[in-house]
Amino acid sequence: MRRFITGMTVLALVAAGAGCGSSGDSGGGTTDGGVAKVKVGIIPIVDVAPIYLGQKQGFFANRKIDLTMESGQGGAAIVPGVVSGQFQFGFSNITSLLIAQTKNVPVKVVTNGVASTGTAGKDFGGVTVRKDSPITEPADLAGKKIAVNTLKNIGDTTVRESVRKAGGDPSGITFVEMPFANMPAAVENGQVDAAWVVEPSLSAVTAAGGRVVAWNYVDAAPDLTVAAYFASSKLIADDPDLVKRFTEAMNESLAYADAHPDEVREILGSYTKIDPKVREALTLPKWPTEINKPSVETLSKLGAQDGIFGSATPDLAKILP
Amino acid sequence: MTAVGAAAPRTAPGGRALLGLSGLAGLLVLVELLPRTGIVSDSYLPPTSRILAALADEAATGAFWVAVGDTLTAWAIGLAIAVVAGVGAGVLIGAVPVLRAVTASTVEFLRPIPSVALIPLAVLLYGSDLGSTLLLVVYAAFWQVLVQVLYGVADVDPVADETARSFRFGPWARIRYVLWPTALPYVFTGVRLAASVALVLAVTAELVIGAPGLGAVIAVAQTSNAITTMYALIVVTGLLGVAINLAARYAERHFLAWHQSVRGEAPS
Repeated sequence: MRRFITGMTVLALVAAGAGCGSSGDSGGGTTDGGVAKVKVGIIPIVDVAPIYLGQKQGFFANRKIDLTMESGQGGAAIVPGVVSGQFQFGFSNITSLLIAQTKNVPVKVVTNGVASTGTAGKDFGGVTVRKDSPITEPADLAGKKIAVNTLKNIGDTTVRESVRKAGGDPSGITFVEMPFANMPAAVENGQVDAAWVVEPSLSAVTAAGGRVVAWNYVDAAPDLTVAAYFASSKLIADDPDLVKRFTEAMNESLAYADAHPDEVREILGSYTKIDPKVREALTLPKWPTEINKPSVETLSKLGAQDGIFGSATPDLAKILP
Repeated sequence: MTAVGAAAPRTAPGGRALLGLSGLAGLLVLVELLPRTGIVSDSYLPPTSRILAALADEAATGAFWVAVGDTLTAWAIGLAIAVVAGVGAGVLIGAVPVLRAVTASTVEFLRPIPSVALIPLAVLLYGSDLGSTLLLVVYAAFWQVLVQVLYGVADVDPVADETARSFRFGPWARIRYVLWPTALPYVFTGVRLAASVALVLAVTAELVIGAPGLGAVIAVAQTSNAITTMYALIVVTGLLGVAINLAARYAERHFLAWHQSVRGEAPS
């Protein structure tokens, strides 16, 4: 009887494995006309507007790429999805990619994703407080409770740098994790002293009377590269032509988005549910095609300083193109 | 047998529906009043009227119905797999005492594992497609059915079983004429529980993994700070839950009309 159970278990595992294999192969297939089906793991936020705009403009179709966007909340599924071959490409912030590199996850950046505007007062993310908060400048954030979307990631490392640069002591800050969407309410109710938010939640906070006290992306590095598109090392080795075509199409999309902010605001309506009024007013990020390498080095240094890589040090040559 | 929804004193069906509706109306009024009176900021909990207006806007778009369809498809396929597997495994395990002894601790070990804990595995195997949702739905719903079927099988009247044996009923005939009628009310309870759990997990999987469906649209609304739309979509998941529960109860009454638990005691 035990043997029967073992047999059934093996059978079930084989069936599951077969199912996995077939679905894994279905992505990235090339159809008769030489058009590659490409799935990209993204988060449905402002940052990824260029890829939607590029798809609409035909930059991907021109290069025989049939693009599908797969979105998940917070992007937890993106890196494993790319590694397992479910997605051919993914979108992730630089610090997460650096963490992946220190853990020897086989992924590599193919092109830029999104960058800070580099201008304090006009960036797409910042540390916000309630209008009656005693906090008025970055140094006041020392010892406070600050919300970030993910702990030990790009948010807390850059916020600490803001405080540090302003002459404050970042060691006493308590970071708490919550989704960006919950932060406007948390700031207003006083559950946290401050929250690091990005658009469109940034607009929601300022609309409720909140103030931005620190522009952490601007403080961290000039023209900080915040996120990038990446692929698995396997795909880069096996299908360099596809990677090249995707990179070209993506770069064209980034340049187009940077030059056509009105079309960006319009395309936001197609894949997000951001209120049309907010869409018109929110601060757009920058979409340069080049990765700002010194800023990535800075993020790596900041992360190491805060101990988010454990004992390892990210090898930038292995993660950057 | 009384364990399966004992014959409760019945109020007139119309009266019960009315009570249920008044409860719902009370909730709607409460949600309308809380933000209007300023107890809760209306940016974070919009009043009922605005939620319903947003719901009407959503219902006018094709994408909304596609999402509802995706969610219901995942729910239906997942539930069907879970019920077939749960009933099959339950009858097999229940009918063979050795199997039951061998699997008892394994079942108790696997059953409390929350389905959402399997999300990384689901993503690794199926990415953010229907497969991921199905894995979570089937895992959660399967145990509901299996455990009920096991109880049902254990409830077989030994005298009836002995009688069937005396009449030289084969194993198949004993399952068909003794075990199955006894277990059927339990099966329906299991299916009803599984149907609700399957919906919860379908929406959760879509919400967290981003598999297509209502949950994914809720996630987009959340990241877009579209609070009113988000609540409108949450209302839809609630309505689906009510509809599924009503359908399951109706099916139970229909197919078990002969059974004591549904018939109720004959008036003496």
